[in-house]
Amino acid sequence: MRLNRTKLFKSMNLSIFTLVMIFLYIPILILVIFSFNDAKIIVGWRGFTLKYYTLLFQNDAIKSAFWNTMLIASLSTLISTVLGILAALGLENKRFSGRKGLLALIYTPLVIPDILMGVSLALLFNFTRFNTGMLTVLIAHITFCLSYTVIVIQSRLEGFDYSLVEAAMDLGAKPSAIFWRIKFPLMMPGIIAAGLLAFTLSIDDFIITFFTSGRGFDTLPIYVEGTIRRGTITTINSLSTLMIGFTLLLAVSTGRIRKNLFNL
Amino acid sequence: MKHYVYIQNPLEVAERKRKNLQSWILTAPAMIWLLLFFLIPYLIVIIYSFLTPDIYDIKFEFSLDAYRQVFSGAYLQPFLISFRMAFITTIACLILGYPVAYFIARAKEKTRNTLLVFIIIPFWTNLIIRIFSWRIFLAYNGVLNDILMNLHLIQQPLEIMRTDLAVALVMVYVYLPYMILPLYSVIEKIDFTLLNAAMDLGANEIKAFFKVTLPLSISGIFAGGILVFIPALGAYLITQLVGNQKSLYIGQVITYKIKNIPRNWPMASALSLVLLMIVTILLVASYLIFMHRRRRKVA
Repeated sequence: MRLNRTKLFKSMNLSIFTLVMIFLYIPILILVIFSFNDAKIIVGWRGFTLKYYTLLFQNDAIKSAFWNTMLIASLSTLISTVLGILAALGLENKRFSGRKGLLALIYTPLVIPDILMGVSLALLFNFTRFNTGMLTVLIAHITFCLSYTVIVIQSRLEGFDYSLVEAAMDLGAKPSAIFWRIKFPLMMPGIIAAGLLAFTLSIDDFIITFFTSGRGFDTLPIYVEGTIRRGTITTINSLSTLMIGFTLLLAVSTGRIRKNLFNL
Repeated sequence: MKHYVYIQNPLEVAERKRKNLQSWILTAPAMIWLLLFFLIPYLIVIIYSFLTPDIYDIKFEFSLDAYRQVFSGAYLQPFLISFRMAFITTIACLILGYPVAYFIARAKEKTRNTLLVFIIIPFWTNLIIRIFSWRIFLAYNGVLNDILMNLHLIQQPLEIMRTDLAVALVMVYVYLPYMILPLYSVIEKIDFTLLNAAMDLGANEIKAFFKVTLPLSISGIFAGGILVFIPALGAYLITQLVGNQKSLYIGQVITYKIKNIPRNWPMASALSLVLLMIVTILLVASYLIFMHRRRRKVA
């Protein structure tokens, strides 16, 4: 009796796990399959085609949205990671008098719905009569990435082994040498993780960009939402498939890089 | 009674001051950035909530109209709808997410990481794309209806798109990893010898689960619940793309007031502040409940 119940419990967990996996992957699978479907709208299977992939590369609006997305993601990753490194180093000092205040500023954006950051930034740019466009989107993206980069890099510094620094000091290393040759390399996995997170958050964001972009500056999510709303969705399947492929590639390759470079 | 007099070493004091200054300099860029673009914008939201709306912009004339409307209950409906949906989503994520987190945590150490990656991959995929694929799946002439019709399980296509059911499905889909990951990290740390001890003493695995594992994972349930409930409460994109457009969610109402003409920024500001207040109350309440439980356990 007892054995049966235990078995039942385990098989229940396994079956829920399997169901959740199917639930998580079915929509993605459908999207990929239908990107090769030879139909104008989504009604049934009409045969295999690569037509929409070629259409995709001829579409100027998509191309410019793609480059905008990459530009914003790269710049916001770079800036939020640099600010994150500096802040994490400053926060290392547990007696720092501004520590509590800064931590509050860093953690609150994470527990407030995104839409509120969008609204508040939209009103800020209206109040200051700042023209919305690339610059306002960049500012917004740096703002929401910053909390994540500080936290990721800081958590890496928590487990830092100071005996290495002390050993280097005993051996007469200069502070700058200690930083660049010991501390920075050890921080590197955290920095890469933070940068990767910032990059994915930036290319994924819709709502905050929606509030801060204004007309004429589309990122890919904004473009996709617009096409869905207008109902011209033929190329979205193929675009989405490429974007899924891109994120997978990014995830796998950074995992590889980290493994090869840092043995982690 | 002995009195200890601690004499501060002037060198140590100077060193501490120098380090403090160094921390201020290092954190200054991030701090200034967050003050300028996170804190000050909220002050502007507060100011705007007391102004007069204009069709395209805002008039700098004092008005309490926005708050008058909020407190008259005109916007109660969207808040209630959003609350109900966030609640349903959180409960569904917990029911589905707990067994998954438990299953991963109790898998062999080598397979755990692979299983986690499988949970995280959809999470990396663009949000709007995932919502879009659900539209293909659930549409009137979409994949699900196609399959069910071909299997002769239904005579008429089901109308799932643009219903609350569609919103609930997609919300659970999008927020499930936020529930699984904190639950996993808590369950993984549980000392399973406790479970074995309970079972040696005659409890079956189900009883041992309710008496040992569940109480020990309560902090993960809290964390996951907050991570799901709060974004679900303010969701815009999901409700906009798959929801029934007759009853608007609060995220949609706020967005329309900002974006659509005639604009009403004071109203959007007041509603945003109410939403912020609700979120703050929720966070403080769950923190207090959590701390109370912990203190009771220690005592």
